[in-house]
Amino acid sequence: MIIKKLSLSKRLLFAVSFVLTAFLGLSAFSLNNAYLASADSAQQKRLKNYIYTILTAADFDESGQLLMPDDLAEPLFSTPNSGLYAQIVSGRQIVWQSPSLLGRFIALPEHPGASNEELSTLELESGVKLLNLAFGIVWENEQGQEFAYTINVSEDLNTINKQKAEFQRSLWYWLGGTGIMLLIVQMMILRWGLRPLHTVAIELNAIESGDQSRLSSDYPKELNQLTQNINTLLDHEQSRRERYKNSLADLAHSLKTPLAVFRGELESSSDISHVKETGHEQVDRITSLVDYQLQRAATEGQSSLLAPVSLGEIIHKILDSLNKVYQSKQIHCQYDIQRDAFIHADTGDMYELLGNLLENAYKYGNKQVHVTVLNQLDIVEIRIEDDGIGIPDHAQQDIIKRGKRIDTQVEGQGLGLAIVSDIIDAYQGEISLKTSRLGGAYFTVQLPNQ
Amino acid sequence: MRLLLIEDEVHLREQVTQQLQNQNLTVDAAADGEEGLYLGLEYPYDVAVIDLGLPKLSGIEVIQKLRAAGKEFPVLILTARGRWQDKVEGLESGADDYLVKPFHFEELSARINALARRASGWANATLQCGSISLNPTSQEVLNDGEAIDLTAYEYRLLHFLMLHAGEVLSKTELTDHIYEQDHDRDSNVIEVFIKRLRNKLDPDKTLNPIETLRGRGYRLTLPRDH
Repeated sequence: MIIKKLSLSKRLLFAVSFVLTAFLGLSAFSLNNAYLASADSAQQKRLKNYIYTILTAADFDESGQLLMPDDLAEPLFSTPNSGLYAQIVSGRQIVWQSPSLLGRFIALPEHPGASNEELSTLELESGVKLLNLAFGIVWENEQGQEFAYTINVSEDLNTINKQKAEFQRSLWYWLGGTGIMLLIVQMMILRWGLRPLHTVAIELNAIESGDQSRLSSDYPKELNQLTQNINTLLDHEQSRRERYKNSLADLAHSLKTPLAVFRGELESSSDISHVKETGHEQVDRITSLVDYQLQRAATEGQSSLLAPVSLGEIIHKILDSLNKVYQSKQIHCQYDIQRDAFIHADTGDMYELLGNLLENAYKYGNKQVHVTVLNQLDIVEIRIEDDGIGIPDHAQQDIIKRGKRIDTQVEGQGLGLAIVSDIIDAYQGEISLKTSRLGGAYFTVQLPNQ
Repeated sequence: MRLLLIEDEVHLREQVTQQLQNQNLTVDAAADGEEGLYLGLEYPYDVAVIDLGLPKLSGIEVIQKLRAAGKEFPVLILTARGRWQDKVEGLESGADDYLVKPFHFEELSARINALARRASGWANATLQCGSISLNPTSQEVLNDGEAIDLTAYEYRLLHFLMLHAGEVLSKTELTDHIYEQDHDRDSNVIEVFIKRLRNKLDPDKTLNPIETLRGRGYRLTLPRDH
């Protein structure tokens, strides 16, 4: 649950920090190991080199007696307590030791044999640790006598260990420093990368508080789809709010007329049956005004966010209903609906549009109703015709005229077509009316379909 | 003809009940979906008028349950929202017609009569059997064009007999369809009503409009005239 609530930047920060730590840790581990291995092998090589130095300097007389010069090529052998020591042993007897040992004595039991070497770690009583390389040699004099010696070279491990510790310390410093620097850089990258999201949040806040009406358009490609959709939604909401406000205002205004008529009648007429008649008329008028404005307010209107709805399915359902309601008329409905007739529109709006047109056809038709739905490129065309008495030519234009509100329309024209006109307006469609070859009205509705 | 009205709004329910009773219909009214469903399952109705927005059980659910229980009487739905989607949903659930509120009572009455007629196979608004005609709207009963004066229950009885002209109707059926749910019933009264109807419709004893089938009930013998 906590993970779900983590912010995007924290998620990224955690993930990247984890990867970084693991990476740096592993690097440190392997670097350290590699360094230790190479340090050990370098030390062995060095010890061997010292042995060769001693061998080069050593000389033997005919009796096999060892002769060593006072100074060796390596000055550390001559400096007391330098940490580098050498000793030559013959059997159990020490025949020579480097001046650096200065009175110390190291007992070395190892005798690896001729041309063999043996590496060991020694600990002296003083606590000093030494790494010792023993190398066996056999010297042969001219008489063919053999004299066996063992050359020991020891190096104080403290020096080496100090070097290793030095290396490890600087390794941690560097890697730690790099890690911290990378983290800082990474945080900056995150902040920079996520800044557009921040901006969206800020802009949305501004929209909420009314300082701004929509999101600005300069967002990175990945966010553009989202911000554009939010804008579409905002526009859609905006136009719906507008429609709500308008229909509320229209409703209030349009109610005034019938109320005024009725009040006038109440005040001036003394004939109760006349008052009643006017009352009925005006109540009817108010009813249809309320119905119409409610309908207008409920119209969703066009939006690219709407899922496609199947016109065929809606038409079939409405026809089933109408066949039930107008059962006694025995209307024969012939329909030709393209199978892929889908439209991005609100289901309720489409029910309203088709329901009103089809009910008119059933109401005014005699026996036949034809419905055709064509799905052309980016337009859906709906044709509905009946075999009723139709609408005279001169009235046809009036009936479908746009923007004509019901309160300004001629009485008896019916609410249905006004609602139909409004919905078509909301979808920026077209409606036309002519006379069908069946004899009745022939409505053609064209709706754009993105 | 017995009608079930399910409407939660008190004023509307009382008004409509009163007006329908004035038209000599037998009306049982329920204030919520559950009560309405109970009545609908319990009593034999000829027509039901059901509001869609009901407490406890929605109108749609009531209709679906009635239909699922095999009740076939025609149903008229009342809806405050005139949205087509709602109308289609209501009709899909098993209703036969709809009326959007507010409505004229004349409209409601005409729809109810039309549904009752349709369900019993009548085509015209006026029921005509032989020389006798009955107009459910004006409640006028004529014999060869001459008005016959009937009491409320005589009218109800004749209306039901004519709707089902040619069918044998038992005494219980007749009682069920002309009396309200909580009315004090006495099936012997049916015999009295039948006798009076015979006298009023056929004073000369030439038509014999209603025959008695012993142990089974009564039948209006006059042929339906469409």
